[in-house]
Amino acid sequence: MSQHDQQTGCDEYNALTRRAFVGAATGLVAAATMPAWMPKVVLAQSASSRDIIVSVFLRGGSDGLSMVYPFTDTNYYTGRPTIAIPRPDSNDPNRGIALNNQFAMSRAMSALMPAYQAGNLLAVQGAGLVNNTRSHFDAQRFIEVGKAADPNLVTGWLGRHLATSTPMRSNAPLRALGLSQGLPRTLVGGPNTIPVPNPGNYGIAGSATTRAERTAWLREDYAEVDTSIGAKALDALNTVQLLNNINFTAYAPSGGAVYPNTGFGRGMRSAAALIKADIGIEALQLDLGGWDTHSAQAPLLGGMARSMQDLAGSLAAFHADVLTGGVSYNVTVVVLSEFGRNVRENGSQGTDHGRGTCMLVMGPGIAGGRVLTNNWVPLARENLESQQDLRVTIDHRDILAEIVTRRLGNNNLGVIFPSYVPTVRGVTL
Amino acid sequence: MGTTLEHDAVQGADQQGAAQQGATVQPSAETPLASRRRFFTTAATAAAALVAATPEKATAQGGRRARRKAPEPVRGVSLSLATVAPPPDAQLAVWRDPVARLVRRCTLGITKEELERARALGVARYLDEQLKPNVIDDRAVSAFVAANYRTLSMTPEELYGADQGLVNRELQESTIYRAVFSKRQLYERMVEFWTDHFSIDTEKVGYLKTTDDRDVIRRHAMGKYPALLRASAHSAAMMAYLDQPASRRGRINENYAREIMELHSVGADGGYTQEDVNELARVLTGWTVSGRGIFTYDAQLHDFGPKSVMGRTIPATAQARGLAGKDEAERIIDMLSLHPRTALYVAGKMTRYLLQYDPTDALVQAVAAEFTRTRGDIPAMIRVILTEQNLMVAPAKHKRPFHLAVSAVRALGPNVTSTGYVRGQLDAMGQTLFNWETPDGYPDKMEFWAGLALSRWNMAMGVVSQTGAAFNFDVTPFVGTTAETGTELIIDRLFGGEVPESLRTRLRTFLRTSPTNTARVREAVGLALSSAQFQWY
Repeated sequence: MSQHDQQTGCDEYNALTRRAFVGAATGLVAAATMPAWMPKVVLAQSASSRDIIVSVFLRGGSDGLSMVYPFTDTNYYTGRPTIAIPRPDSNDPNRGIALNNQFAMSRAMSALMPAYQAGNLLAVQGAGLVNNTRSHFDAQRFIEVGKAADPNLVTGWLGRHLATSTPMRSNAPLRALGLSQGLPRTLVGGPNTIPVPNPGNYGIAGSATTRAERTAWLREDYAEVDTSIGAKALDALNTVQLLNNINFTAYAPSGGAVYPNTGFGRGMRSAAALIKADIGIEALQLDLGGWDTHSAQAPLLGGMARSMQDLAGSLAAFHADVLTGGVSYNVTVVVLSEFGRNVRENGSQGTDHGRGTCMLVMGPGIAGGRVLTNNWVPLARENLESQQDLRVTIDHRDILAEIVTRRLGNNNLGVIFPSYVPTVRGVTL
Repeated sequence: MGTTLEHDAVQGADQQGAAQQGATVQPSAETPLASRRRFFTTAATAAAALVAATPEKATAQGGRRARRKAPEPVRGVSLSLATVAPPPDAQLAVWRDPVARLVRRCTLGITKEELERARALGVARYLDEQLKPNVIDDRAVSAFVAANYRTLSMTPEELYGADQGLVNRELQESTIYRAVFSKRQLYERMVEFWTDHFSIDTEKVGYLKTTDDRDVIRRHAMGKYPALLRASAHSAAMMAYLDQPASRRGRINENYAREIMELHSVGADGGYTQEDVNELARVLTGWTVSGRGIFTYDAQLHDFGPKSVMGRTIPATAQARGLAGKDEAERIIDMLSLHPRTALYVAGKMTRYLLQYDPTDALVQAVAAEFTRTRGDIPAMIRVILTEQNLMVAPAKHKRPFHLAVSAVRALGPNVTSTGYVRGQLDAMGQTLFNWETPDGYPDKMEFWAGLALSRWNMAMGVVSQTGAAFNFDVTPFVGTTAETGTELIIDRLFGGEVPESLRTRLRTFLRTSPTNTARVREAVGLALSSAQFQWY
């Protein structure tokens, strides 16, 4: 059920806007019953109950074993004399928090415990690419396009999902956006998809007197261009029109949520505002960097701890605000990275490029509150890939494919994940 | 000849909606003449496609495009090639002058003066001149840079003691200043290329990048590739950026060992294995940084055991022999610098950067052969890439934000004592200089930058409004007596006189309300810089 149907005081407004979409596009009506930050223009209501997806890429290769770690495995502690997270049943002030009798969550990620306890957060340990590249760039590319080592596949899996599904809302000027400077590969190929680094500050510069005239000039100029440049420019112009109607500054999160004042935190806050504004956006992609921890990894109190706090704090705020705050929105959040890192630390209290890592999946439609593994074995040297890395026992596409079919309502897996038959892992409810 | 032709074929396939063809598009056997005719047809189609500028229409058109690029669900990988943006052939259609094409590729933007000079010299002599930057008189720029960006010539010790914000700012602003005003334009383009190839993020290494820019990139940008690779391998900034100082006997850090192969020399398909990465990391142990940023070999850290990298075996060395350990890595780097895979990788990347996104294998092989023949001579390779024949069929490339901003400033010809304004615009457009986090450098891919139209338009509108002492755009040379003459002044200075008729008409229409009003003319110039046509080179 769509969130707006559940919201009180909206019926009249919805009926009006549903009737008058064409008028809406040219700008009309303020809704007295809507919060001040809401757009003055709301497009036709979606009949769909598909989830909106928020995809988060941790750039650099995140050390999943510092996020969700097997505290009962002595190999974990012998392999990491200086950077292991203390057992949750120890007295160490930096100890993690037990998730079950085998895995614990790093203290730096404790903000996510409410989501985990509510059954909305799933950790997938040992996830990643089957292809064994340890190159950031290849691995990111392979994950984002959804297939390894295919130079001809240039579009992203999420872009192809959008391209092979009907819009959740017909005529939505903007179906997906990357909260980033450039369009992330994940979204490439998506119709009506552009990067918007800061949705709260997205408008045409220069004299207000001539703005409309100049905007029309640009629209005419780019309408002639028969490449992605032209289409994207028109998307940008339509997005300007759309986003100008949302007051991001005044956006008030629900559920007492407080987003960290970081780039990522502000991004998740904008994502929440865009979802609640109900303008037909169905996919958002965010990046969070800083995971390439070759030296001085410091997952307890230093660099990686701060990265994890940023990640967990922002996701937790989003959980409180969007997934449980008053109205529960149908949203699935996926967090992944190109690879994990060596099980044993290196000579500089860091970890080098590895293989399997920890994916996070969050949403009301997710079978959460548990750690998903596949044939988990102790991290003894003989069990590791190349004697150094956590094996990939769950192809990341298994997780994504299930979300695509069960939560996003798209069965075109042959296009979205070409040449791959996913294994159902029971990620969704 | 034909990557261009290849594109035509792809477009044709698209138009038939036959996306399934995707994976195997064969180059057509058409002659260049026929393909040029095709360009005109394409342009005419594009012009005919001009639709009324209502939101509904635009959306509908977007939808049509989207459908064409992303057809009905089909099995397999069919969406792959179909979603590659077709080349901007419409731009090419109006670019008839080979000299102007060469100038677009050799410079960071056409200026009236540059084009006049190039036309006087002709293609061959102009390229010849640009390939020998040292004989181009650039004293005015050198003097300005020396006087205004004092940190550029500092030693690591001095840089360490300097204001770090200033160091970073001066590196960025001097780079913009040189790109705008230097007469050694092709050299500046190669500086840009190698800066990305040996990308280093100042966020991580701070002032050390200033020394790398000076002693590695700028020293060798138009020299020999092996010398450049060697210099980079002896760069304190590169060592620090890729964690080499943290690597030591028994506790290796493989970061630099991996990237020197994957990104700097043989490429990801260069035939090395994870074992080779580990072994090279062992070979490189002892390569580190001392003091405030001096490259140093520390025998104490070196692994003297036997090793093997890509089939080259290195026998164990007696630890007492100290410096011999350093030579192990020198020899491997020499091997990498002239490796056949390096020739191919560097040739492909340079060709894509200088000429077109997807050059033919034949051209890349020819450039690689020149690399091998000349032992990595950069100007010699450029000569193979930038031939008149290649230029006349290469589809236009999309300017990255740095290129776009610099080309805008070059076209306007402002009085500049500070490029701070442009630096800020680069931040807004997503290409803060020396600030790409990962070691692969800013992408040179149209799809990466395609969605950033708004920040580009806002840069254009901002730059034409600058009238301050530090950056003053004098609009006078752009003001005509009528909309018609004013339009021609703009087209002449911004586009070398070559634009589609539709753009000419649009500029005239905009100027017509008050063609001599300078505020109006500034806006017209801003729109011209924002136009689709100005985004290509």
